[in-house]
Amino acid sequence: MAASDHILVIDDDPDICQLVGDFFQKNGFQVTTANNGKGLQELLDRMKIDLIVLDLMLPDEDGLVVCRNLRSRSNIPVIILSARGEEMDRIIGLEMGADDYLPKPFHPRELLARVKSVLRRARALPEDACEDDSSAHYRFSGWTLDVPTRQLYTPSGDKIFLSGGEFALLRVFLNHPNRVLTRDQLLTFSHGREIEPYDRTIDMQISRLRRRLRDDPKSPELIKTVRSLGYVFSTRVERTDAKS
Amino acid sequence: MIHTPGTFRYPLEPIVETKNQLVVKVDRDLEDITPGYLENRKKDLLLLPRAVAEKEFETLKMIGHRMKGSGAGYGFQFISDIGTRLEQAAKRQDLKEVQVCIEQLADYLNRVEVVYL
Repeated sequence: MAASDHILVIDDDPDICQLVGDFFQKNGFQVTTANNGKGLQELLDRMKIDLIVLDLMLPDEDGLVVCRNLRSRSNIPVIILSARGEEMDRIIGLEMGADDYLPKPFHPRELLARVKSVLRRARALPEDACEDDSSAHYRFSGWTLDVPTRQLYTPSGDKIFLSGGEFALLRVFLNHPNRVLTRDQLLTFSHGREIEPYDRTIDMQISRLRRRLRDDPKSPELIKTVRSLGYVFSTRVERTDAKS
Repeated sequence: MIHTPGTFRYPLEPIVETKNQLVVKVDRDLEDITPGYLENRKKDLLLLPRAVAEKEFETLKMIGHRMKGSGAGYGFQFISDIGTRLEQAAKRQDLKEVQVCIEQLADYLNRVEVVYL
């Protein structure tokens, strides 16, 4: 956490604004509170906000709409707080681009831990983590991935079918070769969502991708497991861009 | 990470409960704002009977909803529990249950004493 991290709390309940505001200030954050989503853009234009804590049930607007509109023009991390707490609300909240979701009532220390975690993740990779490679061709260990056509070719030139998830995952690896990526980062960059407890999505996709790449899971050469951390794509990657 | 709604229980439970006293442990970091929070609930106690008299179920629901969302965060699990019941009763337009909630909230606020740890 940077010393000057600035949190914006949007909640129509003054007791929640007071609770979060006071607790976070005591823990070294700068806090601004708002009791509705009106004027959010003006506020964001006026001050640097590092993370938004957003209630879903706002008097003037659905917090989900606020979240979606925000996400369409900004990468500021958002944590949704809501007493609605229905499973579907949580799923929709995450699909609308929220970075985390905490149902009310909540312990302020848990919110603090989640804020720190989301900020850490947001800063874990450089801003070019998701750079545009839509016209790129990658070559690695004799293999070729043609991004525009989503085709993977073996060293002998055979086409390999990749599912959407496998393609997204391979693209993330090719963007970050020889760098350890956590499961959380892989899930965020390939699927745009966070890992959940006992979430095996990434491990299963890694397993499938290894099979596609004919990488022996017992002794992988390309996608290596880094115990307790994640995975590293361990080979030289060359990229050419059709536009260049 | 997501946790299942409704499973969060404030970890600090009342340490002493007698007929006239209910001592609740609250995080020391909340010491500055806890008295104000309890004062606001006493203000709710003034608003609630008026809302009952006028059958303003939206007001009752809103007050219950806010109590549900904030109580346990401040350390008062009971307030969250009462808020949940109040919100549900207002949705059902069950004035009898609303009245029970108001009486229990009044009793709780009358007896609660806070220890900061």
